[in-house]
Amino acid sequence: MATGILPVDAAVFFVPLVTLTLGLLIGYLAQRSGYCSIGGFRDYFLFRHTRLLSGYLALIVASFAGYFLFWLVVPGAMEHFFWATTSGPFVPVPGAPGGLVPAAYLLISIVTGFLVGLIAVLLGGCPIRLTVMASEGNYRAAWFFVGMCAGSIIFATIVSGWVVWFINALGFGA
Amino acid sequence: MNQEPPLTRIHPLWSQLARHPAFLGALIGILAAFSQALLISAGGPEAYGFCVACHTRDLVNGLTNIIAGTNLALAAISKNSLLPVMSVAGVLIGGYISATLHREHRIKKGTIKDYFIYFFAGILVLNLAMIFGGCPYRAALRTGYGDFTAVLFIVAMAAGVVLGAYLLLKKAEREDA
Repeated sequence: MATGILPVDAAVFFVPLVTLTLGLLIGYLAQRSGYCSIGGFRDYFLFRHTRLLSGYLALIVASFAGYFLFWLVVPGAMEHFFWATTSGPFVPVPGAPGGLVPAAYLLISIVTGFLVGLIAVLLGGCPIRLTVMASEGNYRAAWFFVGMCAGSIIFATIVSGWVVWFINALGFGA
Repeated sequence: MNQEPPLTRIHPLWSQLARHPAFLGALIGILAAFSQALLISAGGPEAYGFCVACHTRDLVNGLTNIIAGTNLALAAISKNSLLPVMSVAGVLIGGYISATLHREHRIKKGTIKDYFIYFFAGILVLNLAMIFGGCPYRAALRTGYGDFTAVLFIVAMAAGVVLGAYLLLKKAEREDA
């Protein structure tokens, strides 16, 4: 069990507050800068513009720097940093359906990544850009957000079961 | 005599920084690591500081669980906390505040067909992101945390964007002709 700066009793209270503050800041700045990960790749491939792409690359570099820094300061909170060396190179950080062989995770990453990239570029932005567009008054983006909300419940009730069944049927279950 | 107050001298720099995506990218990276260091005692997973898809899932399922008494799956950090993670609500409110302050709030309507397409695309994108375990942002955080499957996701995503951008280009050419 990882331990952060705040003890459990305080952390459970501060989770909504801290994440809300973080979200407000990110939403404000994302509206200012037109931040978009998919748009970064799209602008680079179509026009060789690097402005948006620099945002996504900065995120990768800064997250490594941030995790490294806080790993030095609060090692208890970064239990498995650097993941590939502590948990194996082809094991994903938890969050996806668990208990599959590594090959299944590689397959899942490639297929879902490709489809998310394809769909998002046709819609005109990544999830955060569409969320910000919804807050700017774009009705289509607002319906995308409503779809994400409906999708959360659909995933929890139906689709997650299908995925595990399908992966097991392919023989990838651990 | 001609000295400007400090705020107006700082303002141009802030306005430049605030408009640059790289500044926000760096900020999200550092803040995501900071929020993990601060809050991880409440529960996992790791590298979960900011994610549009996962945090939407946590917010919707968490509130549904509280209101309707259901038991929909969500991340441990949201399950253990008083309320689920609120970052997506923050993004919506922050974006609205910024758009209103800078007079960029414009109602843009589409057709009913558009709304259906975007609604189903929302369902589809969220489910795909959940199967992988993160949207493009969490993929970046996981890359920074040392997860190589997330690197594959980003490369595949770039390939998907190339195909999609090519399709958009073809469509634009057809419409020009």
